[in-house]
Amino acid sequence: MAHMSHMLPQASTTSGVSSGSSSRTMSLMEKQKYIEDYDFPYCDESSKYEKVAKIGQGTFGEVFKAREKKSNKKFVAMKKVLMDNEKEGFPITALREIRILQLLKHENVVNLIEICRTKATVHNGYRSTFYLVFDFCEHDLAGLLSNMNVKFSLGEIKKVMQQLLNGLYYIHSNKILHRDMKAANVLITKHGILKLADFGLARAFSIPKNDCKNRYTNRVVTLWYRPPELLLGDRNYGPPVDMWGAGCIMAEMWTRSPIMQGNTEQQQLTFISQLCGSFTPDVWPGVEELELYKSIELPKNQKRRVKERLRPYVKDPTGCDLLDKLLTLDPKKRIDADTALNHDFFWTDPMPSDLSKMLSQHLQSMFEYLAQPRRSNQMRNYHQQLTTMNQKPQDNSMIDRVW
Amino acid sequence: MPCWYYDKKELRETPSILDGVTYETERRYRKEGARFIMECGTKMGLGHNTMATGVVYFHRFYMFHSFKSFPRYVTACCCLFLAGKVEETPKKCRDIIKTARGILNDNYFYSFGDDPKEEVMTLERILLQTIKFDLQVEHPYTFLLKYAKCFKGDQPKLQKMVQMAWNFVNDSLSTVVCLQWEPEIIAVALIHLASKLSKFTVLDWLGRQPQHQRWWDMFVSNVTMEILEDICHQVLDLYQSTQKEGQEPNSPPQKPPSRADSPTTTNIKSLASGDCPAATAQPSGNGGIIGINAELNNIQTIKSLAQAVPVAVVSIPPPSDGLPLPTPSAVGGAPLPPPSNLNSNAANYHMYHAPPPPPPPVVPMPPYAANAWTQQPPPPTHYTTTAPPPPMPPNMGPGSAGGGPTGYYNAGRQQQQQQQQQRYQ
Repeated sequence: MAHMSHMLPQASTTSGVSSGSSSRTMSLMEKQKYIEDYDFPYCDESSKYEKVAKIGQGTFGEVFKAREKKSNKKFVAMKKVLMDNEKEGFPITALREIRILQLLKHENVVNLIEICRTKATVHNGYRSTFYLVFDFCEHDLAGLLSNMNVKFSLGEIKKVMQQLLNGLYYIHSNKILHRDMKAANVLITKHGILKLADFGLARAFSIPKNDCKNRYTNRVVTLWYRPPELLLGDRNYGPPVDMWGAGCIMAEMWTRSPIMQGNTEQQQLTFISQLCGSFTPDVWPGVEELELYKSIELPKNQKRRVKERLRPYVKDPTGCDLLDKLLTLDPKKRIDADTALNHDFFWTDPMPSDLSKMLSQHLQSMFEYLAQPRRSNQMRNYHQQLTTMNQKPQDNSMIDRVW
Repeated sequence: MPCWYYDKKELRETPSILDGVTYETERRYRKEGARFIMECGTKMGLGHNTMATGVVYFHRFYMFHSFKSFPRYVTACCCLFLAGKVEETPKKCRDIIKTARGILNDNYFYSFGDDPKEEVMTLERILLQTIKFDLQVEHPYTFLLKYAKCFKGDQPKLQKMVQMAWNFVNDSLSTVVCLQWEPEIIAVALIHLASKLSKFTVLDWLGRQPQHQRWWDMFVSNVTMEILEDICHQVLDLYQSTQKEGQEPNSPPQKPPSRADSPTTTNIKSLASGDCPAATAQPSGNGGIIGINAELNNIQTIKSLAQAVPVAVVSIPPPSDGLPLPTPSAVGGAPLPPPSNLNSNAANYHMYHAPPPPPPPVVPMPPYAANAWTQQPPPPTHYTTTAPPPPMPPNMGPGSAGGGPTGYYNAGRQQQQQQQQQRYQ
C-alpha cells in the first residue's frame, strides 16, 4: 500500500518541513485503518454474495453467477470490473455502463441491483475490486440457439423479437445506443422474459445537427452483427446500427447460427453485399461519401436476395418481410423499433406466445459461454479479430456451410 | 439511489465539524475546492457541466469524510477527473495534475505527495464508493435555459437577466445549496434573484395557466419564498463574506458606501418580501416586509449586496431607460475590478467570476497549512527566507477577475514576493 502514504503530509522535499504537525494528522497506519474500517454506507461488500460459477466474459470483465448469502435463494450475476492496465483509473467504459444502466429501468433491459466491492485490505494493497451486480437470468439467446433440443415455435420467435424490439425502442427513446447487439447479449429468464444486456459498449447519442456531425468510434459491434455503415467507416451513426443487429438476431432464430460470419471487415462487407445486394448510391444515397467506400473493394452487380435466401428457413412471409426491412443497407431507410413493433409479423396468427412453458422443459442454464462452440471459436475472441486483419479471406462457401 | 439532500442540522454536523473543523472553515474549504475545480476546468477547456458535476461530487464527498483526513485540492482534482470521464469529456489524470500544479502554490501541492497521479487514482476508488456510483448529476443550468425559453418580454433584457442568473448558478457551486435543494429549485431561485436585480420582471410566459400565480408555478410546486430566499442569500453571502474575509484586523476599515436611499437597495428589499408576486413593478411598495420577515443577518446580507451587485452585473450595461440598475459607478467607493475585467466577464459569462476584490491582505489570518489534514501552521523553517504567506484571499485579486491567468491560489506566492521586495527597498 505504498501509494497510500502519499496521502499523508509529506515532508517537504525542498525545505524539510518538520514533523511538528504529525500529531494532528493520520499516520500511514491510521490512514490504512481508516480505509479498511470505513463503512461506506452505500457500497456493500461483495462477500454478501457467494460465487457459484463463472458464466461469461463481458466486455470489461468476467461474469459470475452468485447466490445472495442472506436469502440463500436469490441468484445474481456479478460482473467484475477489470482495473488492471488502467492508466486512467476506473475505466470510462465501466462508468458509461453504470450510468446507462442506472438510467434504464425496463422489463426488457437487464436490471443493475448495485455495485459491490471487495474489502480493501493489506492483501489487495487496499485496492478494492468492483462488481456490477445484476438480477440473474438463466439463459442467453446464443446458448439457447446452440442447443438443438430447444425448439422455438413461430409464436415464441415472435415473442422473443417483440421483447427485443421493445427493449430497443425503450433504450433508443432514452437516447442510448447499445452498439453490441448479438445473441449472446440477449438474456432470457426462465420465465421467458427477455433482457438486453452488456451495455459495455453503449453510449448516449445526440441527433446530429446539419453542420455538427457526431464522431463516434466505428470500432463497435461484434463483426458478424456489424452494420454496413459502420464497416464503411461512418462515425455519425445512430439507432439503426442496433436495428441491423436485431435483424441478424432475428434470422438466427431460424438459422440457429449467425448468418454472416466474416473473418475480416472486408469479408463481412462481401457477405453483406451477397445477401443484401451491392452498395450503390441508387439504393443507398450518400454511401459514396463514407470514408471507406472507395478504398474497399466491394462486389458489384449483386442482387438483393434477402427474402429469397431466408425464405427456406423462415417460411413465414411476414417474418421474411420484417427481416428484409431490418437488413436494409441504407440506415436511413432501415426500419426503426417503433415501426417494427407495428409490423404485421407481430399481429398475424400465430400471435406472440409465452416462452415460459417451453423453457420449463429445460432445467439447465444455457449460456453461450458454457455451450459447446456452435461455430468457429471466433465468436468468443472477436476482439482479437478486430485487430487481426491479415487472415486469409475465405470464399463464399462459408455462407452455405453455415446455413 | 441515495438521497443527497441534507437539512441545516445535518450540515452543521458534518464529518469535518465533528473532527474539529469550524463551520466557517469548512465552508471556506468547500468554496476553495469548488473554485479550484472551476479554475482548473476552465483552464483545461472543460464545459460547465463537467465542472459542476465535479463540484457536486466534491460537496457530497465531504458529507462523509473530513477535510482533515482528505486534503481538499487532491479531492478536487479527483472529482474533476471523474467528472470528466462521466460527462464524456475525459482529461488525462496527468494533465489535470499539471494544471493543478500551475494553479496551486507549493504548500498546497505538497498534499499531492510524491506520486500525485497515484494519489488521485487511490482517491477515485474512495470517491466512487462514497458517492455510491451515483454518477449522473443534473445542474441548474439545464433548467435555467429551459425556463428562460418560456419567458416573454424584451429580448435584450431577458438575455441580460439570464446571463446574470447563469453567473449566479456558477457562484452557487461555491455554496452548499446543491446539498440542500434540487437543481430545478436552485434555478428558480437564482432566476428570481437575477430578475430582481436586473429589473426584468417575468410578467408573461409560454404555457401560462390561470392557476399559475408566478412563472415557476408552471415548473415546480410547493416552493416557498423562504426556500428561494435562503438560496439567494447563500449566494449573496459569498460576496459579503468576501468583504468580511478581506477586512483583516489590521487592514483599513472598508466602509461600504451608504445605500440607504439607493434604488438598488430598494430593489433588493423586494426580494425579501414573502408575497412578492411576479407582477411586482414597484419594489418599494414591499420594502417594509423585510423588517418583519427577515432575520437580522438577512438584512445584513441584503445590505451587503450593494457591494456584491456590481460583480453580478459587471457584464451588463445599465439599461438605456435610466432604470437604476446597479453599475460599478453606482457603488461609489467599493473596490471594483478594472474595466478590462468587466469586459472579460462579459465575454466569458460562462466562467465563474470573482466577487469584488478585497483590500490586499496585510497580515495573515491563519497561515497556510502545508496540507489540509491539519490546520496547523507549517513549521517556521519553511519561511525563514520569506515573509509568512498571507491568508488565502477568498477570491481572485483585481488583476485576475474573470478567470484571469493568475489564480488566487498563487496569491500567497505573489504576496510573498511583494513583501520581500518591500522589505529590501
